Amino acid sequence: MRIAFVGQPNAGKSTIFNGLAGYKTITANFPGQTVHYTVSKVTVGDETFEIVDLPGIYSLTAIDKAELESRKYILSGQTDVVVNVIDASTLSRSLELTLQLTELQVPMVICLNMIDEARRKGMEINIEKLSKIFGVPVIETVANKGIGLDKIFISAKEAYYKRLIPNIQSFHKDIEERIEEIEKIIPEEFFSKIPKRYIAVKLLEGDEELTEEIKKYPEVLNKVREIREEIKSSHGRHADTVISSERHALTMNIFEEVTKIGEPLKSTREKIDDLLTNRYLGYPLLFLILFGIFFIVFEIGKLIEEPLISIFDSFIQKLPTIVKEDSLTFFILKGLLEGFSGGLGVAIPYLIPFFIGLTILEDIGYLPRMAFLMDTVMHRIGLHGKSVLPFIISYGCNVPGVMATRILESPRDRFITATLSVLIPCAARTTVIFGLVGAYIGGIAAAGLYIFNLFVIMILGAILTKFIPEITPGLIMEIPPLRIPTFKNVFMKTWLRLKDFILVAWPLLIISSIILSFLEYFKIDTIINLVFFPLVSWILGLPEQTGLTLLFGILRKELSMIMLFQAMDTTDLSKVMTNTQLIIFTIFTIFYIPCVGTIGALIRELGTKKTLIVSILTILLAIILSLIIRILLSIFG
Amino acid sequence: MKTLVNIDNGKKVKILKISGGRGIRQHLQCLGIHIGDIVTIKKSSFLGGPVLLEINGYDVALGKGVASRIEVEEVE
Repeated sequence: MRIAFVGQPNAGKSTIFNGLAGYKTITANFPGQTVHYTVSKVTVGDETFEIVDLPGIYSLTAIDKAELESRKYILSGQTDVVVNVIDASTLSRSLELTLQLTELQVPMVICLNMIDEARRKGMEINIEKLSKIFGVPVIETVANKGIGLDKIFISAKEAYYKRLIPNIQSFHKDIEERIEEIEKIIPEEFFSKIPKRYIAVKLLEGDEELTEEIKKYPEVLNKVREIREEIKSSHGRHADTVISSERHALTMNIFEEVTKIGEPLKSTREKIDDLLTNRYLGYPLLFLILFGIFFIVFEIGKLIEEPLISIFDSFIQKLPTIVKEDSLTFFILKGLLEGFSGGLGVAIPYLIPFFIGLTILEDIGYLPRMAFLMDTVMHRIGLHGKSVLPFIISYGCNVPGVMATRILESPRDRFITATLSVLIPCAARTTVIFGLVGAYIGGIAAAGLYIFNLFVIMILGAILTKFIPEITPGLIMEIPPLRIPTFKNVFMKTWLRLKDFILVAWPLLIISSIILSFLEYFKIDTIINLVFFPLVSWILGLPEQTGLTLLFGILRKELSMIMLFQAMDTTDLSKVMTNTQLIIFTIFTIFYIPCVGTIGALIRELGTKKTLIVSILTILLAIILSLIIRILLSIFG
Repeated sequence: MKTLVNIDNGKKVKILKISGGRGIRQHLQCLGIHIGDIVTIKKSSFLGGPVLLEINGYDVALGKGVASRIEVEEVE
């Protein structure tokens, strides 16, 4: 049995999915976290369920790319049961999607999630009544606390075996007649798996995709156009507005019938929320919160890194006493140890506190508030507040950052945001910044690099906007309530993100480190370094051995730093490189070509051609910036 | 005509008209903002910043560009 979770953004579909399937997908407190769907198999008793977590959709008329994905899946007719997940505290709005889902005529379960939050708002929902209206099971859950999740499979089974198809709620008679008129003339073979009524309603609404498809049948298209015009002249409004008002009226009726509204609990949460988005205090708080997180990450990371590194160092130094120096075994062992310690000693101490910080920010729901605060600033670079979300996520990793651009409505915004996102120092580059500049020069210099990075992004954004002018209307975004993160979710999410590093990046670090040892042993490294000599030495003013390390950095950005220790044959870089060289190396690593993983994500989101443009642009940018800083440092440094 | 941009904090308004293309209209409808709805201004626009509205118990942020296309009248 295949069960699809369908619901509006931030209704908690992924939280429910994780609760049922074990921790498989990343959740957060902002609309649009899930941008692609995840499938998982769960066996309960002797029955296997295939559950699908779809990106949130506000309606079955898709607005952004993530929504389009969901819609495609829902319309493909592969689902046996739809579980309509609703954030109970936004019931009045969520029911509009429910109404559209009923038109698909698939067995359904309505799941009122976050019922605790609705109660805090003073809402009492009569689930028996709601169940009677739609003719399907209605259950209550509090997914983040795991309450009520056991009822999902039971109800889904009931809906499936008893074929509990939801009742369609009728519009006014005149509209219903129009729908019927269209329904009758839709050819049998046109999306044969989807009920004709659904198609008819969507055509009346002027749905882009379906209208495009129906062009194959000009007589149907003409009839639809004619009816849309008739509705417009009889109602004085566009047909899509008329349908939407009809749906809105229906939902409000149902909402009023099943809900009693009492006094909301005025809580400290509202007061905190008020402060966080305050027009004066909001900005210093934003700065303090971000600065605080980086400061804590830096301090904790350093605390763990130093003892760990010294253990490995003493071990590497003892190596010549165990294996003969200059033998191939020695080189391989050295590469292995250096790669291993690079992952464990340098990356992980910074990654864990960073991921915890990011997760807490996400789960509290601070990111949409940042979008609200930053809207004006983002307009300066021709974007709007929502673009802040991919940016912040990019601080963790550029790959989900680039994927998060799907929450943006226009291709132009997606392109600019994705291009700027890949310049944001991800966790990997954070380890480089902290490991090189932070460790050898100081925390303030490291912080300075972040500010410099933001400055460059702003300027580049302003330039890009000049070339691709703004046409989007601006920010339209739901701001979810603040929530208290659960310990379990923070732990599981940090683990999920760390697992990705341990399973993918760390082995890559170790293998690359061994390859570098091989290259050194066979003296191939000097040839590669010779090729990069003009760039590395003349333009960047770096030691020639760094050429190879920068090449490795394309695989994973932190590789370039770990390789650097190996290439320079030291654990104390300050002895072989000047502060200027360390800064230039770090700046170049931050900006030049996105890592392989990010390039993959860019190709998926933007296509090969644009990815190529972005890659070349970033290399040029890295060279220009490094050169400017080098000149500035030589004058003022 | 007053739009959402020139309403003060804490005021309740009724939405009279939404100008702009089908894209904006549909997007607003999806978030539960319709003509005739009554919304409360939680944070008014400041220095060209966005407006924060409360509608039926949840919050929606609208950039200045969008807010200026929504005509409203004060109620109460």
